[in-house]
Amino acid sequence: MAVAVPALTVRLVTHETDADLIQRAGDGDRGAFEALYRRYARPVFGLALRRLGDRGRAEDAVQETFASVWRSARTYRPDRGPGAPWLYAVARNAIVDRSRGRTDASGDVPERAADEPDPAERTEQSWVAWRVHRALEELPEREREVIALAYWSGLSQSEVAEFLGIPLGTVKTRTRAALQRLAEVLEGELE
Amino acid sequence: MARDFDDLVGGDDLEPEEELRLREVHDLLVQAGPPPDLPPALERLPDEPGEAQILTYPMLPKRRWAAAAVIAAALAVAAFGAGFLVGDRGASSSEAEAVHVVPMRGVSGALASIRLGKRDDVGNLPMEVVVTGLPTQPEGAYYTLYLTRDGKPRVPCGYFRMRDHTTTVHFTVPYELKKGEDWVVTYQPKGVHEPGRIVLTT
Repeated sequence: MAVAVPALTVRLVTHETDADLIQRAGDGDRGAFEALYRRYARPVFGLALRRLGDRGRAEDAVQETFASVWRSARTYRPDRGPGAPWLYAVARNAIVDRSRGRTDASGDVPERAADEPDPAERTEQSWVAWRVHRALEELPEREREVIALAYWSGLSQSEVAEFLGIPLGTVKTRTRAALQRLAEVLEGELE
Repeated sequence: MARDFDDLVGGDDLEPEEELRLREVHDLLVQAGPPPDLPPALERLPDEPGEAQILTYPMLPKRRWAAAAVIAAALAVAAFGAGFLVGDRGASSSEAEAVHVVPMRGVSGALASIRLGKRDDVGNLPMEVVVTGLPTQPEGAYYTLYLTRDGKPRVPCGYFRMRDHTTTVHFTVPYELKKGEDWVVTYQPKGVHEPGRIVLTT
């Protein structure tokens, strides 16, 4: 029997801005919500893990964050700020709730989009990690792999080349291409 | 480890403005650190969200169900490998006493040893694998220890991820070792389930 695929789920949403996706999710568009999840599940988990220090509770915080996003996306106002800080604020509040042991996250949605997260509640490190990890989701897998190995594995570029079995020049080319792509994402989407 | 921009990206062909732009991204990458591995529970969407749940994750497009099935199969294989690991943790030191040690060496000066223990009365062969110098893998990637046949990795013996410079894992396999068989460790990039690039050999 053929399975009907909802039309919304096959729409191309990956190049839409966060603000567009939040607004569409606010209208009940599941495809847009799924795209937001793909972009932000890892940054939210990273933020929660850093704050809570426990993978199980961090998983719960991710669930609560996206529950809040789904419920409150219609309250987002793009004229008050980009999507990334708004999502960060929602995530931060869900995580704070989780750290307090609360289960009701219904009141944790910011009333207005913030230009940037509250500095009293987060460190600069968390915000940088949030933006960078979000931007990494935009890289092709082969560029993300080179970045991960070059920056965080402890290998030199020559060793990365040897490890992946590709020429050193290719490693440098992919690294530079990845940084250029990251720059575009960070400047265009998240500033 | 702080990475040097000039080593990673620099070049005489970069315009000053572009170099500044890329250097800023480089600094952010260093400051941010690696993204976390997403737990399996967050990789896939719930099958049937309850009616009472306000959150219902989006339905997967048809094409992604196939991908999800592949991921599920991979996780099942990984769980099987993890079962090897967990199942052997209870072994006492005497049970794990090495009968034979196989040295391995590989790319970038990586080294490993496989300590083969005494096979039990039903044929389980315990082994301790100590790996030094392989890089901590990118998110979603892992390593696989294979037995080779005809010189190619054929029989998976266990899966692992590097946590530190030196990582020790325990596996148990029921295989009979045959003459001419060898061991290799492959690097499995994210999404690649066929034997990947060989990074350690005997």
